[in-house]
Amino acid sequence: MTLVRFLSTLLRLVFFTGLFLGAAGLVAGSFLVFTISRDLPKLPSPLSRIIETPQSLIYAADGQVLMGLGERTAVSLDMVSPDFINAIVATEDHRFFEHHGINKLRIVKGLYITLFKPGQIQGASTITQQLAKNLFFSFEQSWQRKFKELLVALQIEAANSKAQILEAYINQIHFGAGAQGIEKAARRFFGKSALDLNLAEASLLAGLPKSPTQYNPFRHYDRALARRDVVLARMKAAGYLTGDEVAAVAQVRPELHQGRRDTRSGSYFVDALISELVKRYGEDVVYHGGIRVYTTLEPGIQSMAEDAVRQGLNRLDKLIGIGDGEPDQDRPQAALVAIDTASGAVKAMVGGRDYYTSEFNRAVNGRRQAGSGFKPFLYYAAIRNGGFHPASLLTDKPVSIPVVGAPDWAPKNFKKTYQGPMVLKQALTSSVNTIAAQLVEQVGPKAVIDVARACGVESPLSRVYSVALGTSGVTVYEMAAAFSTLATLGVRRDPFLFWRVEDARGRIIFEHIVRDRNALDQAAAYQVVDMMASVIDNGSGRSVRRLGFTRPAAGKTGTTDNYNDAWFTGFTPSLCTSVWTGYDRKQKLRDKRGVGITGGRGAAPIWTDFMLRAMNGEPERDFPVPPDIRFETVDAATGCPPEPALPETENPGDTTPAKTVRVAVKAGVSLCPEVDNAQTD
Amino acid sequence: MIRNWYDSPGAGESAKRLFSLLNLSLMVVTLVVVASEFRFDWVEKLAGRYLISTNESRPETGSIWETGRHAVNAHHSLDQIIIKNETARQTVREADSFQSLARGLGAGEWANLDKDRFRQLYLSLPRIRRNALIEPARLVWLLNGTLTDRIFCEGRMGGIKIYFIDSGNRVIHSIDLDDTDAAKSPETSQTAATLDTLPGFSGRIYPAGLFFDAVFKLPQDMVPDLISDAQALLSRTGTIQRVGIWNASENGFITLGFEFVHLGEHEVVQIRAREWAVWQLGLILKGEDQ
Repeated sequence: MTLVRFLSTLLRLVFFTGLFLGAAGLVAGSFLVFTISRDLPKLPSPLSRIIETPQSLIYAADGQVLMGLGERTAVSLDMVSPDFINAIVATEDHRFFEHHGINKLRIVKGLYITLFKPGQIQGASTITQQLAKNLFFSFEQSWQRKFKELLVALQIEAANSKAQILEAYINQIHFGAGAQGIEKAARRFFGKSALDLNLAEASLLAGLPKSPTQYNPFRHYDRALARRDVVLARMKAAGYLTGDEVAAVAQVRPELHQGRRDTRSGSYFVDALISELVKRYGEDVVYHGGIRVYTTLEPGIQSMAEDAVRQGLNRLDKLIGIGDGEPDQDRPQAALVAIDTASGAVKAMVGGRDYYTSEFNRAVNGRRQAGSGFKPFLYYAAIRNGGFHPASLLTDKPVSIPVVGAPDWAPKNFKKTYQGPMVLKQALTSSVNTIAAQLVEQVGPKAVIDVARACGVESPLSRVYSVALGTSGVTVYEMAAAFSTLATLGVRRDPFLFWRVEDARGRIIFEHIVRDRNALDQAAAYQVVDMMASVIDNGSGRSVRRLGFTRPAAGKTGTTDNYNDAWFTGFTPSLCTSVWTGYDRKQKLRDKRGVGITGGRGAAPIWTDFMLRAMNGEPERDFPVPPDIRFETVDAATGCPPEPALPETENPGDTTPAKTVRVAVKAGVSLCPEVDNAQTD
Repeated sequence: MIRNWYDSPGAGESAKRLFSLLNLSLMVVTLVVVASEFRFDWVEKLAGRYLISTNESRPETGSIWETGRHAVNAHHSLDQIIIKNETARQTVREADSFQSLARGLGAGEWANLDKDRFRQLYLSLPRIRRNALIEPARLVWLLNGTLTDRIFCEGRMGGIKIYFIDSGNRVIHSIDLDDTDAAKSPETSQTAATLDTLPGFSGRIYPAGLFFDAVFKLPQDMVPDLISDAQALLSRTGTIQRVGIWNASENGFITLGFEFVHLGEHEVVQIRAREWAVWQLGLILKGEDQ
């Protein structure tokens, strides 16, 4: 009897408590709805307003669209493959067509798992809730945010049909790789419209919104396939597919659209461009202003640059002994910038091995030591301000230069040998450090920095002697711009990435005007260029000739002491290209035998490969000789006119030290002053 | 048996109370409410309808509205740029001299100037100023040849830059004009100072007698190129004590400074003279003309 009474009391207690709690919950819920609803965001009507932001378009130099910013290509549901719609519904919210904004059973289950199975989280968001979250809320995790999201979902459901909700949802979800909305995703990943997606492709795409980065098929194809299998399993569970169909589709490995992938690889240029546009106009204008940007990028040349870098890095991998399985972060990187010397327009830019693996743009953001690549600025300063000329005689010998308040500076030659007396032209050709040290001691580091600045180097440069040997970090972009000033014999044309910016109605808001600035003395610049041509013909950059580049060209290799950086920057009269190779982290570039890889071995082949392709079909031009330049042949060991018996040995490709050297000197400059003086005396 | 109110009820009584009409009704109603909610989602619908009714009074917040605001900001910024450009174009259209053009275009503002407009503004300048602006032969080629595609003006602090641009947007000739240089009236400037206080004349200051002796030794046809604007000097009261020659040339002209003294007050009047005439004068002053 007592037990019956106890049970009866307990039942009543439970019932009335439940009733009370239910009533209290109802009152509290209503109160919450009334209070919180005041702060809820207003819903746009119709929901399709979400796609109304105009997209900014970026055009290549040939008129093709490189990229749309803020682009949302919205499509109606009947323009989307039914397989995708089934896949996304089965994966994200299989009761979508049944509930009215929230899935109560899923919420109860989610609450149970969250409360009673610590460590596990059960997502309970319906497609409508996800849409509400994406349209109005941040990713902040709080119960208020969750509750508001739920209320907005209820309003969305009450105000729109299921088709409208689903259409809005699939047009705004992120699939990664810059693709927002199903149409853009279908085009990006498979190069087709959303309507043409087959089941294998549709199910793969439906798996991406969960974690677009983690499942990005361009980077993690197998992970994306594994996720696709989950989608297929859910489609089967939801009754959209049979087991046989799932088994058949699971065997298919959808082929990704490589063309789009390549375009995105070219995005190093676009990234640099956007960064500059944002600096100039702000993010709102760039991403939401619907502007049209006409860039300098030549898609053909860009493609050649990417191929040259890719092939050059593959060759470098083999040289170093890196196998196919190594992750990209353990492989050397490269960067390339090509500038049209006649205008300063950047024709091509490669900022790394693969944009998908690393978006860090080494061409504009990576400051690396240029090594001997900096010597042309020193040689210009020596000729312009130091009274030197290409036939000036100096001695390659151990040097020790006193530095106030620091140990003496004693740079060594790269090969650790000394060749004795030699003319300046040969010193640059062979990249002799001790002679560069003697020159910088005479002209001072400030003169070198001034020349580099005049040419277009903007990175901070330390006012120390060693700056002449490229110990300050510079970017590939700067080196290409600065050497472009040399290529034009001192006429500086600032590098730029876009010609024109228009608003959505075609009204011009900016246009680039090519302004010439006489940055260098033409004759002195020509003498440096002539010496740099010798670097390619006979010096540290002779691999360029060996690899078949026969056009008139000049350049300079650069290798840092520790082989961390290998450069080659060179130019023809019309195109200047700088190439850097090295590891992202501090690591030496060494081949399988442990021999360091120089700029001539690492970067020059990439430069040559690119220039051979880029200059193909272009007319061959010589560097114009300024009127006050004369050519003389001098004895390489004395700097004086040669004895009649000495043969001309300075031939392109000939690596033996030349006995005579042909130099370009300014009219009126006296060669071999000792002889002149003796004759005068 | 007497039962007190605090005695626990018996099983029958308990069952009677548990299944009382009120309790059963409450239970049924509760179950119906819960079941109907699961079946018909009326709570969601009710809440949704209520929220629709309050939609218009709610704030436009959240990422979708932010995007809209970004777009509004973007259009505002672009409109500002366009308005600025349009204002610059209007300035160019309405300018009656290079000076008003220079004063109308703020730093960084730009507009295209058509060739006829440039020609008009150029011809409104006094002859000497025209020649200082650009060599006539070059201008003829720039305006009447095939190279120039358009003329582009850009404001800067205290003046304008005028670029002659080819079809490849390349500058083929540029003119940098201070707004004083761009004035219609011939330029003279007066400074309440002596020549010694103007460093540009340092080392090239001559007694007035010596200077004018040298002037009169120049060929007759060269003198007008040296002192083209006698009006500026004749209008001054006082006597010329010294004359200085500026140490730099600009656009083919060199400034001469005439130091006047009147009632103990010093004043320097500066005029511009042809560079080559000044060079000839310099040779005479140095005694190297022979």
